[in-house]
Amino acid sequence: MTDVIMPQMGESIAEGTVTKWMKNVGDKVQRDEPLFEISTDKVDAEIPAPASGVLKEIRVQAGATVPINTVVGVIAAEGEAVAAAPPAPAASAPPAAAAPSTPPAPRSPAPPASPQADGATGPAARPAPSQPAPPVPREPPRPAPSAVPPPPTPTPSPGPSASRADMTVDELRQTRSSPVVRKIAAEHNVDIREIPGTGIAGRVTKQDILTHIEGKPAETPMPGLTPAPPASAPSMTAAKPTPPVSAPSASARVEVVPMSPIRKKTAEHMVLSKRISAHVTTVFEIDMTRVDHLRKKYRQPYEERSGVKLTYMPFILKATLDAVKAFPVLNASVEGDAVVYRHDINIGIAVALDWGLIVPVIRNADEKNVLGLARAVNDLAERARSKRLKVEEVQGGTFTITNPGVFGSLFGTPIINQPQVAILGIGVIEKRTVVRDDAIAIRTMAYFALSFDHRIVDGADADRFMAHLKKGLQEFDESAL
Amino acid sequence: MKLNRMVEEKLTNLYRQGKVVGGLYRSLGQEGCSVGSAYALERGDIFTPLIRNLGAIFVRGGRPRDVFAQYMARAAGPTHGRDLNVHFGWISEEGSMPSVISMLGDMVPVLTGAVIAERMKGRRTVALTWIGDGATSTGAFHEGFNFACVQKAPIVVIVENNKWAYSTPTHKQTANPRFVDRARAYGCFGEQVDGNDVRAVYEVTRRAIERARAGAGPTLIEADTMRMRGHAEHDDMKYVPPGMIEEWAARDPIDRYERWLVGSGHARPEELQAVTADLDASLQADLAAAEASPFPDPRSGLSGVYADRRVRPPVPPLVAEWKRRKGRV
Amino acid sequence: MAVLTYLEAIRLAMLEEMVRDERVFVLGEDVGTYGGAFRVTAGFLEKFGEKRVIDTPISETAIVGAAIGASLMGMRPIAEMQFIDFVSCAFDIIVNYAAKTRYRWGAGVPIVIRGPSGGGVHGGPFHSQNPEAYFMNVPGLKIVAPGTPTDAKGLMTAAIRDPDPVIYLEHKFLYRRLKEEVPEGDLVVPIGKARVARAGKDVSIVTYAAMLQVALEAAEAAARDGIDVEVVDLRTLLPLDEEAILASAAKTGKVIVLHEPTITGGPGGEIAALISERAFEYLDAPVMRVAPPDTPVPYSPPLEETFLPNAAKVGEAIRAIYDY
Repeated sequence: MTDVIMPQMGESIAEGTVTKWMKNVGDKVQRDEPLFEISTDKVDAEIPAPASGVLKEIRVQAGATVPINTVVGVIAAEGEAVAAAPPAPAASAPPAAAAPSTPPAPRSPAPPASPQADGATGPAARPAPSQPAPPVPREPPRPAPSAVPPPPTPTPSPGPSASRADMTVDELRQTRSSPVVRKIAAEHNVDIREIPGTGIAGRVTKQDILTHIEGKPAETPMPGLTPAPPASAPSMTAAKPTPPVSAPSASARVEVVPMSPIRKKTAEHMVLSKRISAHVTTVFEIDMTRVDHLRKKYRQPYEERSGVKLTYMPFILKATLDAVKAFPVLNASVEGDAVVYRHDINIGIAVALDWGLIVPVIRNADEKNVLGLARAVNDLAERARSKRLKVEEVQGGTFTITNPGVFGSLFGTPIINQPQVAILGIGVIEKRTVVRDDAIAIRTMAYFALSFDHRIVDGADADRFMAHLKKGLQEFDESAL
Repeated sequence: MKLNRMVEEKLTNLYRQGKVVGGLYRSLGQEGCSVGSAYALERGDIFTPLIRNLGAIFVRGGRPRDVFAQYMARAAGPTHGRDLNVHFGWISEEGSMPSVISMLGDMVPVLTGAVIAERMKGRRTVALTWIGDGATSTGAFHEGFNFACVQKAPIVVIVENNKWAYSTPTHKQTANPRFVDRARAYGCFGEQVDGNDVRAVYEVTRRAIERARAGAGPTLIEADTMRMRGHAEHDDMKYVPPGMIEEWAARDPIDRYERWLVGSGHARPEELQAVTADLDASLQADLAAAEASPFPDPRSGLSGVYADRRVRPPVPPLVAEWKRRKGRV
Repeated sequence: MAVLTYLEAIRLAMLEEMVRDERVFVLGEDVGTYGGAFRVTAGFLEKFGEKRVIDTPISETAIVGAAIGASLMGMRPIAEMQFIDFVSCAFDIIVNYAAKTRYRWGAGVPIVIRGPSGGGVHGGPFHSQNPEAYFMNVPGLKIVAPGTPTDAKGLMTAAIRDPDPVIYLEHKFLYRRLKEEVPEGDLVVPIGKARVARAGKDVSIVTYAAMLQVALEAAEAAARDGIDVEVVDLRTLLPLDEEAILASAAKTGKVIVLHEPTITGGPGGEIAALISERAFEYLDAPVMRVAPPDTPVPYSPPLEETFLPNAAKVGEAIRAIYDY
C-alpha cells in the first residue's frame, strides 16, 4: 500500500488544493503517470503517481484544500487484499451495531468507566473485526475527570499565601530568595523567612543561610582567623537597608549596623573552622624568666647594631619553629582522606587592628635566625597597622600564633586558621609565684594554649610538641642570638 | 587648493601634537583632482569626498573651522565627536554631501541610488565622487558602477590613480592599470586627465557632468596623479622608489597653477602671496576657535541611534538598583 | 622563555608554523612589502618570498574566497583583514562558503581569518568593532579571541592547525601594551578551552580579550574591599567552554559577563542563557552583563570612554552583585 500525499511545492507553502483527479478508484496506475492536479499560492501542478498499482482510495476530493503531507489517496499493489477501509473521518456515522450508551470514548488514555454496551471491555478504540469501530469523536475530547490536573495552586511556600504573581519583587526576594538558597533551605528543612537576611531588600543570601545552619556563632571571639584580604581598610559597605526579619524593629533602643566585608569574612571563617576541625585545646605553663633575661640582655645591642626592637615574639617564634620541625604534623593540613605535610613553615602572626583581624605571614620562617625573625615581625606588624601589606603576605600560612595575652588574658582557646591544624595562643606574660625546689619563687610565667585539630593531631602529639616548646623556651639557647 | 593644502598642514601638526587622534590622511599632491572637479558641480548637485578630497569640501561650502572641530573630536564638529575626519555629511537643497564610510567602494552604489531618486522626482541632479586606484578592486565598486551604468545614472566617478594603495602599487592591484579602459567594459564614457593640472581636471569633469545631466549616463574619469605622502601620517613610504617623489614634485598642482596664473597675466605674485597670507590668518583664527571649543559631553553619545526610540540605558539594572538603594541610606 | 608583546607572539606563531609547514601561507592587503598595517607580518616577505606572502588588491571577498579555494586543495592559508571591521565585506563568502562546506559535501576549509579588532584607540566607528557576535550564530565556524601574549601564540598555532575555519580576533589595544614571558617552542592552546585567570570564591567574571585586563584590575580593587573575585578568560568564543563557565557559576553563584561588543545580541546573552539553563540551582543572584551600550563606537575620547566598560564600572557591578 502506498500513500499518495499532498506535496510541498515551495518553501513557504503550507497547504494545497486538489483540483482534479485524473484516475478513478479502481483504475490501474503506473508509477510517474499523472495522477492528480493541485493548486497552491505559488503554482499549479500535475502530480505523478508515486507507485504502480491500483488506485484503491481517494480520500480528498477535488475542490478540497488540505495541509501538505496529508494523505489524499492510496494505491494498492496489484493483487493486494482489499481490506475494509476505516471510515473517512469527515463523516461521523453512528455505528450500525448497538450504540454505546456510554459517552463517546475519550482520547485520553483513561479507559471509559463502564463497559461497552456490546460487552467488550478495555481501551475503547480497538475495533472488533466484525464490527465497525466506535466513531472517533469529532468534538474535542472531554477529558475523564481523573485526567484533569488540579487547577494550579501556588506551591506552598513560606510567605504570604498570595500567588507569586501578587508578590512584589522585594517580597519575592525575601521569601523565595535565590535558587541556591531555596535548595539549601529545602535540604535542611529551614524556613527562609526565619533567617536574618543581609542581601538586597533583606534577602537571605547563601552565606546567611549557611551561617544560620551552622548554628550558634563561635563560643569565644578569639582572634586567630584570617580573612584573605590584606590590611587596607575596607570601605564600609553599602549599608543594608532592611534589618533582619526576626530582629526587633529598629528603634531608639536598638541599632542595626551592617557588617563590613572583613567582619563578614571573619564571621564566616570562625564558624566554618569550628565545623571543619575537631578542636581541642591543651594548656602549658611556661617559665619565661630566662627568655626575659636574654631579652633584656640583648635588647640594646640589637637596637644599636641592627635597629631592631627585640620583643618576646622572636624568642617564641624560634622555639615554636624548632618544635614544629620536630613535630611536622602540626604544620600539615587535611585534604579529603589525606594528611598533607608541608615542608615550608610559614608562620602567621595574628595582629588585632581597629577594623578587624589580620594575620601576616612570615614565609619559610625556619630559615631565619632570631634577628631575622625580629625584623620580620616588626616590619609586618608596622605595615599591617599602616595598611601596606601585600596580598601574598597574608596568604599561605601553615601555622599561626596569636597573642591574647596582650590584652591581659591568662589563656584562651583559639580557633584554628583553616586550612591549618594548629594555633598557638600566648597568654599574658607576668610575674607569678611558683614552686621551685620546694620553695616559693617569683618567676616570669605565661600560659601557652595550643588549639589543635584532633582529626590528625592526637593529644599525645600536641603535648609532646608543647613539651618541646616549653623546653626550648625555658632553656633558650643563647648562642642563637 | 591652497586652502586644502594649508588646512592639511595644520592638521598634520595637530596630529603630531596629539590633538588630532586616530589617524591623519593627506592629499598632498592631489589637490588638483579634488578642487578642479568640484568646481564643475552646480547648485543642488550631490558629491561625496573621500579621505583625500578635503579640497572639494571647501569648494562646496564646507568651512575649515568645522573641519578642524571635526578632526579634533569636538562637540562643535559636524558629527559632534561621533566619527572622524571627513566622515560627515549633509542633505540640503543647495547640494548634498552624503557621508563617506571607511569601507571603500560603498559610495558608488549609494550615490547611484541618490541620483536615481532625484531622477524619479523629475530633477536633473548629478553626483560626483572620487575613488582610489585600490578601491576599484572592491566588489562594492563593481556592483555600484555596473548598476549605475546599466541605469544610465547621472553619476561621475573620478578614479584618482595616485599609484599606491597604502603600500600596494597598481601593478599588484590590477592587471590593467589603465583604469579608463574599464569604462568600455562597463558600457559608459571614459576620459583620462592629468590630475595635477587643475584646469584640465575642471574641463574634463565639466564635460562629464553635462553629459550626465543630459541623460547620457556615467563617465569614468581616470586622473593621473601621485600620493606624495604615506597612506597616513604614520606611514613613512619607504616602499616608494626614490625617484618617484622627485619626479612628481616637479608636477605639483599648486606650483603649476600659480605659474600659469602669473604667466598668463591673471595674477601678480604679490597678489598670490596676499591670498596665502589671508588664508593663513583666517585659518589661524579658525584653528584657535576650534581648539578652544569643548569636547562633547560624555553622555551625549547615547542618543540618535534610532529615530523613534532610545536604546537601553548602559548601566546594568542591578547596579542601577544598588545605586538607588545606597543613595537612600 | 622570551618576553614578547601580544603582537610579537602572534607574529612568532605564524612564523614558526610557516617554517614548520610549507602549506601555510599569508595573504591580505599590505602584508608583504609593508609587513602589514600593524607590522604583524614584518619580515615575512623577505623570509618566505612572494609565493607565500601575497599582497592582494582591496578585495575582502577575494581574499577570503581565495583562501577557501586554496584550503580545499590542501593549503593552510592565513587571510588577513586589515581591520576586522572589513570582515563584513567578506561576510557572504565566510558564512555561506567557508562555514557550510564540510557539512554539505564533506570537504574541510582549514583557513584562518585574522584581523585587529576592538576599540580604545580612538579609531571611530569603522576601526573599533568587535564582530564575534554575528559569527557566533554561524555553525561551522570557530572563533578565538586571546587576551594574553601566551594565549595569542598558542591559539594562533592551534588555529592554523585546526581543520575548520577559524576567525582569529587580535585585539589591537593589546598589541603593544601587553608583554609577558611566553614559553618557547611548540605551544598550542586548545581551541574551546577557557582559563581561570584569577581564582576566587565570591563573584565570577566571565570575559575575554581586552576586557580581561579590565576584569583583573577590578578584581584587585575588589580584593582590597574583601571581595574575592574569580576571573575566567574564555579565550574561545565558539565553541564556548561550557564546563568552565558552569563550574565558575556553581562555585560562586554570582556571575558577571563582561565583553566589548555592544550588549544587545552580544555573546553575554548566550552565556547567561547557558548558565540559567544548566547552573540555575547554584545561582545566588541574577546573571549580570556589563557591556557597551547599543550605539556604534564613537570617535571622540570622552564619548568612547563612556562607551567602553572600565574597571570602575566593573567594580560597581561587583559590589552590586556581591551585596545582592
